[in-house]
Amino acid sequence: MSNPVKVGLLGVAHSHARSYFRELSSLEEAEVVGVADDDASAAAAFVSGTGVRGYEDVSALLASDAELVVICSENARHGEHVRAVAAAGKHALCEKPLGISMEDMRSMIAVCKERGVGLMTAFPCRYLPPVIEAKRAVDRGDIGKLLTVKGTNRGKMPGGWFVDPARSGGGAVIDHTVHVMDLMRWISGVNPVGVYAEIGTLFHSDLSVEDTGILHVTFEDGIETVLDTSWSRGKSFPYWGDVTLEIVGSKGSISVDAFAQRNEWFLDEPSRTVWNYWGERMDRWMLKDCLAAVRDGNGMPITGEDGLQATAIALAAYDSARLERKVSVQGVR
Amino acid sequence: MGSVHARAYARMPGVELAGVCDANAAAAVKLADAVGTAGFEDAEALFAEGRPDVVSICLPTPLHRRFTEQAAKAGVHVVCEKPIANTLEDAEAMIRVCEAHGVRLFIGHVVRFFPSYEDIARNVARGSIGRVGVAHARRVGGHPGKASAWYGDRAASGGPIMDVMIHDIDFMRSVLGEVDRVFASERTAPGVEHALVTLRFRNGAIANMEAMWGYEGPFTTAVDLSGTKGTVRYRSDDPGSITIRRSLGEEEAGPRVSVPQSPLHQSPYYRQLEHFLHCIREDATPIVSAVDGYMALAIALAAMRSIRIEAPVRMTEYLEGKEATRVE
Repeated sequence: MSNPVKVGLLGVAHSHARSYFRELSSLEEAEVVGVADDDASAAAAFVSGTGVRGYEDVSALLASDAELVVICSENARHGEHVRAVAAAGKHALCEKPLGISMEDMRSMIAVCKERGVGLMTAFPCRYLPPVIEAKRAVDRGDIGKLLTVKGTNRGKMPGGWFVDPARSGGGAVIDHTVHVMDLMRWISGVNPVGVYAEIGTLFHSDLSVEDTGILHVTFEDGIETVLDTSWSRGKSFPYWGDVTLEIVGSKGSISVDAFAQRNEWFLDEPSRTVWNYWGERMDRWMLKDCLAAVRDGNGMPITGEDGLQATAIALAAYDSARLERKVSVQGVR
Repeated sequence: MGSVHARAYARMPGVELAGVCDANAAAAVKLADAVGTAGFEDAEALFAEGRPDVVSICLPTPLHRRFTEQAAKAGVHVVCEKPIANTLEDAEAMIRVCEAHGVRLFIGHVVRFFPSYEDIARNVARGSIGRVGVAHARRVGGHPGKASAWYGDRAASGGPIMDVMIHDIDFMRSVLGEVDRVFASERTAPGVEHALVTLRFRNGAIANMEAMWGYEGPFTTAVDLSGTKGTVRYRSDDPGSITIRRSLGEEEAGPRVSVPQSPLHQSPYYRQLEHFLHCIREDATPIVSAVDGYMALAIALAAMRSIRIEAPVRMTEYLEGKEATRVE
């Protein structure tokens, strides 16, 4: 393809970095110019054997001709990295959660706007066909007026920086609230209003962050939702986790199991059961959409504001658990 | 439910049906004929002429207290359908009157006798999945108001929380212990009532339960629990052990596909009633007690209060206060 978008990767801490790198490397609309990390040796290890350049430091990436930078650093670094990318006149696709404080996220959005560059939040679940079909069904009026949604985004305890609050901004709640809450905003078209959360460290007692969250989130139009954000899948679970939605309307309901397109494997060496997902690679479709927006000069399909609204729910959930009552999402600071 | 109880008793060795009573005399006679006993339209006559040892009360919830009192005073043991009552005051009165007259009171929390749920309770208690962190339960079905109008009176039936979710409330309490606090939300639309209730247990575990009236599919339940050592789950809509599909001729009516079945030689309802009768004969402690019924009702009522005040309700305060211990 003529004029592929030149893309750099900034930060390799997030597990999605590997998937994004692989997809970008095989997408004809992209050309990966290099990978950088505050830890140069991490960048070097990441690119080893790929033939792609590992920058000696972040400023080298920022000085390059990359047009789009995909940010996969630890949550606490997102703000600094997005601002630096924007200052260098480049567009940013930032991993979730967008940031770990409202102030940080507002500043990221403002700086990008000021510099006239795009800011996209990485919410790949919007690209899963079952999720898209659910939204189409709701938009068509198949189930009438939206009443309630019960969702789960459960996973395995990721360890590493994810459980270091200084780098992650929290535990399972900040890690897993945002995907499904973004889907809720996208499907319903309205914003969250209030949240009541039950939070705890129930599966891994030695963690200094929470591994469990059950959130009751009320949206505009009175839509009531519940979300399980927990790192409750153990070693033996045959998959990393799930994204499920039970959407109830006035005239019907929709059940979505976003990763149900899989085969079950019962293997002997070693003894284990594995679910092999064969559905669409959501990261690939998300990246294609981002690249198209950059190439065509259009606004990002999922914005910094989308990232902020979803993360605000997680931050409000922490307040709710601390105060032991329902709190306003729009008032969270 | 009356029919379910009657048919179970009719098959039970060592049990004789003394009568079937319903205010609708024709309905009473029809069921009585089907199970080979006498029909009554008046409870007093049932007790005086049928002279039962035990009575199954399968009436609408607001009638549970009155007929339990009548049975107790007649010296008859009581098996009463869930929920025990629709106010804690009535529930307590039922427990006391049976105690005072030396008769047993059992509440039909039959999910404890469903083998799928028994397997979970037994093996979680043995530590198979370690310490439970998060549990989910779901119980969704058609709107009963279509068949029977009293369900539509929220004060009487308590909606899906008191009528349907109460099974899961009792089950979760049996597995996870006493509840510290409850937070709930609910939405309704014509023909649809959907409730989501979160329980925080004293041991730190969290359960979220969902119940719905007005689900378009067949009656469906699901439960899953995750702990420090693993996960267990059951879904009634997983492929059943038998599904019958018929190709019908042009003129034939009826369903082409039966709802997938999970057939058992003895239904959970049969085993529940058999257990209660055993407890009467042997003066034994049942696996689910009238106090369990009272506590399940208290949690359901606390959930309904939580919906109204949009705040968590602490169970100790709720039980002590008792100022709002009826449907709000």
